[in-house]
Amino acid sequence: MTWTRRKFGRVAGASLAALAARPARSASPPRVVVIGGGIAGATVAKYLATSSAKPEVTLVEPKQRYKTCFFSNFYLAGTRSLESLTHGYEKLAGNYGIQVIHDAATSIDPVAKTVVLAGGGKLSYDRAVVAPGIAFKYGAIEGYDEAATQIIPHAWNAGPQTQLLRKQLESMDDGGLFVIVAPPDPFRCPPGPYERASLVAYYFKQFKPRSKIIILDAKDTFFEQDLFEDGWNRHYPGMIEWLPAQFTGGVKSVDVKTRAIKTGGDTFNASVANIIPAQIAGELAQRVGLADQTGWCPIDPMTFESRLHPAIHVIGDATNAGDMPKSAFVANSQAKACAFAIASALNGSEETMPHLFNTCFTYFAPNDAVTDAINMKPSNGSIKITDIFFSQVGESDEIRREASRQGEGWYAAFTHDVFG
Amino acid sequence: MTVSSLTALALAAVFFTVNADAAAAAGQERGAQLAAMCASCHRLDGRDQGIPSIIGMEKQTFIDAMAAFKSGARSNSMMHAVALQLSDAEIATLAAYLGARVKEGKR
Repeated sequence: MTWTRRKFGRVAGASLAALAARPARSASPPRVVVIGGGIAGATVAKYLATSSAKPEVTLVEPKQRYKTCFFSNFYLAGTRSLESLTHGYEKLAGNYGIQVIHDAATSIDPVAKTVVLAGGGKLSYDRAVVAPGIAFKYGAIEGYDEAATQIIPHAWNAGPQTQLLRKQLESMDDGGLFVIVAPPDPFRCPPGPYERASLVAYYFKQFKPRSKIIILDAKDTFFEQDLFEDGWNRHYPGMIEWLPAQFTGGVKSVDVKTRAIKTGGDTFNASVANIIPAQIAGELAQRVGLADQTGWCPIDPMTFESRLHPAIHVIGDATNAGDMPKSAFVANSQAKACAFAIASALNGSEETMPHLFNTCFTYFAPNDAVTDAINMKPSNGSIKITDIFFSQVGESDEIRREASRQGEGWYAAFTHDVFG
Repeated sequence: MTVSSLTALALAAVFFTVNADAAAAAGQERGAQLAAMCASCHRLDGRDQGIPSIIGMEKQTFIDAMAAFKSGARSNSMMHAVALQLSDAEIATLAAYLGARVKEGKR
């Protein structure tokens, strides 16, 4: 290769410009504080720690161990232990040098760029990432408040709530009625309530075959409805009944003691009930003003930086991210895009277009699963779906068995990706 | 050749090296960022269960597989979607990055 002066000048100039764009390195590396150790928070911490920006990463999470919501319907079905859904933070700390603080963040000062912890500590940051998950909108159903969850669980965060629901299903008599109240959009895990009905039906079919499941929905349609209805007909004929809001008038109130659930028309007397309330962004997002009037957090679609507070990024279920569904896979996908955007900002290098993707393995029975695959892209200030593919009704048993096997492999690979 | 042109040549050599290293590092980082998308389903240490391992493949085998997923010649909706997201240049970057990885314990 011959180098002319002109080429040399251009290359040298470009290199010098790149060097100049890089912020002067002081003795201490940039600091990123990640609040929330769910799927989004754990993923962003890991990918920041391995990025070329080499920031000092602190992860703030009150719980010692995290239990995944995804696959927790298998725990309700009795085919998977809660332990198998439980993940610690030791590898993030040990292998990636992330400082893990088991405490709750109580406030953030976006001007001073500090985070205050419940234990009294204070952390300074150059960038903060907030991944607070969801909170429940109690009050939409009369009689269902936080105290009521100790009798009628929501089981929409995995842990004690899921255990309570499993216990109630185990002690239910054969011939009982299990009622699931499904939430309005948008909510965490669009196929979740219907997969729950499927896998509880799998349990009933073996041990309590005269039992029934009714889903009282706040909506008139639901995700992958044709696939679910086909799956229910094949595996559990007559056991699951789905009632849309237009049919019942919606759930109005509940008598927690008697488990009587009153709709616009009929009242349903449940043996076991599971009320999944309407949702908004997690509590910290509300408290520090990261959520808007929708209840969710508006973000820049390229970087996931809050539109309300600069230098704070929001990822995961708490975001209003256009067409992106609220799933663990999306949380992981957003977290990577966010980590790379923060690394670019800290390095002073060019932003790249994020690759945003979602897939879900959804089970009708342990050997019958379907998948969806969704491509999304920043577009006009929001995030839009560019391609979407679903499994089809009428696929062979072999295809479904293969998907169920892949789903198991996905769980192992995905949790390894998130927790190290 | 004048002193100044020699200096320019020497400087050019320095910058060429710096830029080649920078380009390699940038390629490596871009590869790692693209592979992060794969890591949501495929373990990058070769210890997959139920999901095919994608590390240590011949570059062309990887490129051909992605082309087949993109065209639909190989039927898999998840990989079809992933392949549609990736440009030819990105697939080549991934082929190099993933191809260079070896199963843990074999290093």
